[in-house]
Amino acid sequence: MRHVANPVLRRLHDEPLAVPDAAREHLASCPRCQAGSTQIARDADRAASLLDAPDVLTDTDLAWLRLQAQLREPQAAARPPVADPWSLPRRLVRVSVGTGTAVAAGVLVAGVAAAAALTTVYAPTKVVPVQVSHGDIQAIAGIADLSVAAGPDGLPPSGTRQLPFGSVSWTSAGTAQKVSSVAQAVALTHLSFTSPARLPRGVGDPASIMVQPKVTATIHFGAGAGSGVAGSSLVVTGGPAMAVQYGGSSGRAGLPTLVIGALQRPVATATGATAADLENFLLSRPGLPASLVTEIKLLGTSSLPVPVPKGVPSRHVQIGGSAAVLVTAPSGTASGVVWEGRDNIVRGVAGLLNNSDVLSVARQLG
Amino acid sequence: METSFLAQRRPPPPSSFPAFEAFFRAQYPAVVRIAYRVTGDAQAAQDVAQDVFITAFRRFPDPGRGSHAEAWVRIAAAHAALNAIRGERRRDRRQQLCAVDATPMGPEELVLDSESRAEVRQALRRLNRRAATVLVLRHSGLSYAQVAEAMNVNVGQVGTMLRRAESALRKELHDAPRR
Repeated sequence: MRHVANPVLRRLHDEPLAVPDAAREHLASCPRCQAGSTQIARDADRAASLLDAPDVLTDTDLAWLRLQAQLREPQAAARPPVADPWSLPRRLVRVSVGTGTAVAAGVLVAGVAAAAALTTVYAPTKVVPVQVSHGDIQAIAGIADLSVAAGPDGLPPSGTRQLPFGSVSWTSAGTAQKVSSVAQAVALTHLSFTSPARLPRGVGDPASIMVQPKVTATIHFGAGAGSGVAGSSLVVTGGPAMAVQYGGSSGRAGLPTLVIGALQRPVATATGATAADLENFLLSRPGLPASLVTEIKLLGTSSLPVPVPKGVPSRHVQIGGSAAVLVTAPSGTASGVVWEGRDNIVRGVAGLLNNSDVLSVARQLG
Repeated sequence: METSFLAQRRPPPPSSFPAFEAFFRAQYPAVVRIAYRVTGDAQAAQDVAQDVFITAFRRFPDPGRGSHAEAWVRIAAAHAALNAIRGERRRDRRQQLCAVDATPMGPEELVLDSESRAEVRQALRRLNRRAATVLVLRHSGLSYAQVAEAMNVNVGQVGTMLRRAESALRKELHDAPRR
């Protein structure tokens, strides 16, 4: 057997039962690994002793009273006092799962881009990254006040909402649901989906398979929208979609490690207004940052914008001959890739994995 | 951990946030423990814990199974405490907002070797964020699986990160000039 790697020697010190027998047996007869193990144990014990501290005498009752008092303070709704330690990697996973306001906002971005590109039909054939900040997403969501419409699990299956310039209504061919197998998801969505034959290390079995039926959103532009747009409507359809979420291998079974999603590309049609009118109107909504407007205007007629948080690196790659956008968390702990295949299905792979693992999975699908 | 003076206090009023209260009560001691590993100051650790739970309440108003709220408050505690010792969060508004006495300190605190604790804090300040975080979480008693979940990494990476962090800590303490 090869020498035991330092991380394994380190874990052996803390959780010996979690280390394979072969490593323990090798260690028992290898002076080199024993020397390494001794140094590792020395460092570990020293760190433990330096960071050792007595338990603090906590008064949980009193702390709870203090916390309640603070939560009732008007300024409790202001900026959170602690930065979100998961803001980047988890967001990549959450977005790919396909629920919540961020996704709804993303659909609106697609809708806005659709209008920008519209003749009568918008049907993108490739993906391009669009840098968005948290403020951009809030601004987009604010156009339709999606934060109010969306519950904790995202938008309800159907509904109507008044907008300052008309109304938006949406219907779904059914509710999002969990299914028990990939085959069942494929049968319900009619999407072409191939499970990867080789999964990266640390990725376990599928833990959850979700299906989202096709959603149709219609924006009716009322009199408040002004001449040229009033009386027109924009219909955006998206889906059906499916997402397969994989758990971890042993030891981290509860943590999603990889999500593979597939979505019938969004398509938009407009009636009663020209593409230029709709573009100008939607992109002139108050609060939409100028830089985002410029990016959307530059998208062209055949591109699906992929919202990428500002500061997160993204680059173009090829998956199965199609243009793809690869996004990596700055820490390198999470990556995601999105592309539209020749079959007009938008696919995405994201997970707590490095670039090469995510691309390896994607290339088995593309 | 409950002491007799608590028994003399009036019973607490009904909770305004019942769904969050059970989570808070279960996790508060662990969050304070993590923060205390970093700050070395019980009051500062409890202030950090308050900030963590204020933020957690917005993120997980109903922290149920599968929300990962436990893992979140643990790493948030480590980060917030590291920020606190890096001078990024110097506030004393807790005492101004709530007219209650500070929680009494444990007697152990009085006998801690303040000099070596200060050296460890200096070293944690100089280490990179990931290294300091993995050290604090692991040596606060979290398992490898819990550390992995909190830090969004594969459990197999925890050993690597921990080994590097402990080696870096040794070098920091060995090489750094005594202050």
